[in-house]
Amino acid sequence: MLDSFRALLPRLSPKQLIVISGLGAVLGGGAIAPVILLIVLGAMGGTITGPPEQPIAFDHAVHAGKAGIACEFCHRGIPVVENTATALGAPVSAAATIPSVEQCMFCHSVVATESPEVQKIRAAWETGTPIEWVRVHRLPDHVDFVHDPHIRALAETHPSFTTAQICATCHGDVASMTEVEQVRALNMGDCQGCHRENSAPLDCAVCHK
Amino acid sequence: MASATDTAELPVVAAAATLPTDDPHPETDGHRWGMVIDADKCTGCQACVVACQSENNLALNEENRVIERRAKTWIRIERYWEGEWPNAKARFLPVLCQHCGNAPCETVCPVWATYHNPDGLNVQVYNRCIGTRFCANACPYSVRYFNFWEPEWPSPMDRQLNPDVTVRTKGIVEKCTFCIHRINRTKRQADRDGRPVADGEVEPACVQACPTTALVFGDLNDSDSKVSELSHSKRAFTLLEPLGTAPAITYLKKVDPSHVDEHEEHGH
Repeated sequence: MLDSFRALLPRLSPKQLIVISGLGAVLGGGAIAPVILLIVLGAMGGTITGPPEQPIAFDHAVHAGKAGIACEFCHRGIPVVENTATALGAPVSAAATIPSVEQCMFCHSVVATESPEVQKIRAAWETGTPIEWVRVHRLPDHVDFVHDPHIRALAETHPSFTTAQICATCHGDVASMTEVEQVRALNMGDCQGCHRENSAPLDCAVCHK
Repeated sequence: MASATDTAELPVVAAAATLPTDDPHPETDGHRWGMVIDADKCTGCQACVVACQSENNLALNEENRVIERRAKTWIRIERYWEGEWPNAKARFLPVLCQHCGNAPCETVCPVWATYHNPDGLNVQVYNRCIGTRFCANACPYSVRYFNFWEPEWPSPMDRQLNPDVTVRTKGIVEKCTFCIHRINRTKRQADRDGRPVADGEVEPACVQACPTTALVFGDLNDSDSKVSELSHSKRAFTLLEPLGTAPAITYLKKVDPSHVDEHEEHGH
């Protein structure tokens, strides 16, 4: 079935072909429809599933967009390069890191204290309970991803980029997102495509651990 | 211990005749990581084994696993008795993946799950491995281990796993990586600082743990490094040299007057 489609539509990617043939089968044969649908969903595994529900309705469009707070002001694990507007001298960690509740309270002890969502932060701060943010970008355990070399490489190849633009390469325009969601597949093909375009290493052991 | 006659009967000549003609160490601009193990300094204390076990998220080897001969240690201390009681002497030899230049394991993998990387490391890509075990059978040093079970740790040891190393699942082959996560981390740091990696800056867990510095790690492409210097020692030898695997690990012979005399007597 896939082969006949491939002959007819040679310019479609294998994934598109799977989706199309899957849809065809669903429309055609009702009995095996659930099975085919599962196969199609399986083949599409790892793709974007929409923004997860967070414990507090934190709005990046307000903070990063309207207020114009730099990414690395809150995500302090981001390494400092020349492009970073606020050179905080953060320690370089593999992850960009989620800010601590204390960091929210820098501003929210005085800003928008009446908002019900900010009240939740205050409650977490006063009771010492961590906020259980739901992770949006998660790579598999066998991937050794470190932000540092990627940010440095992008800063070198795009000297005019701001930090937000560097981050947007993989994370999308977070400054316009009310709820943050994953915009790129961030699977191996996605990583390798970018590595090929930028003459980055393609040795397995560079990413796989 | 094998006598001189036994050694002569081994089909080493046949193996040597089928050696690959490729240069096992092609010239590269990068690193060629290697190790020197001084048998004279090794006391068989097993510190390297423990360090490796905890660094690389290896499950505990319970008694049954050892009895079943399924115990898994990426580095093991081989013990040889020399002489007869009461003049018996214990000899120790740490054996880990030799990261061979002509690796027999690499050519037999049907899915390229193991390959030689530009830094001269024999790399195992776990999520590519389909568990044929061809590599483990081809390895003359028996340093590749198959996961017959999901790894398990008694609580609270399951909370001390190293986040830089994958927990390998059941059904794949794993082995010493020369602590590639440490190599990568050091290279990243050096790159960030805009300098080359210094000699001795990269230390795999076993090397770091060795109390007598019997294990030395470094770049064999750097002629000034300590490993390069030691690997040209008069005492240097490699394991199963006639097989032509061109290992990245060089051993240094034990310095022991009685040992030397014994060798001469038996005409080795």
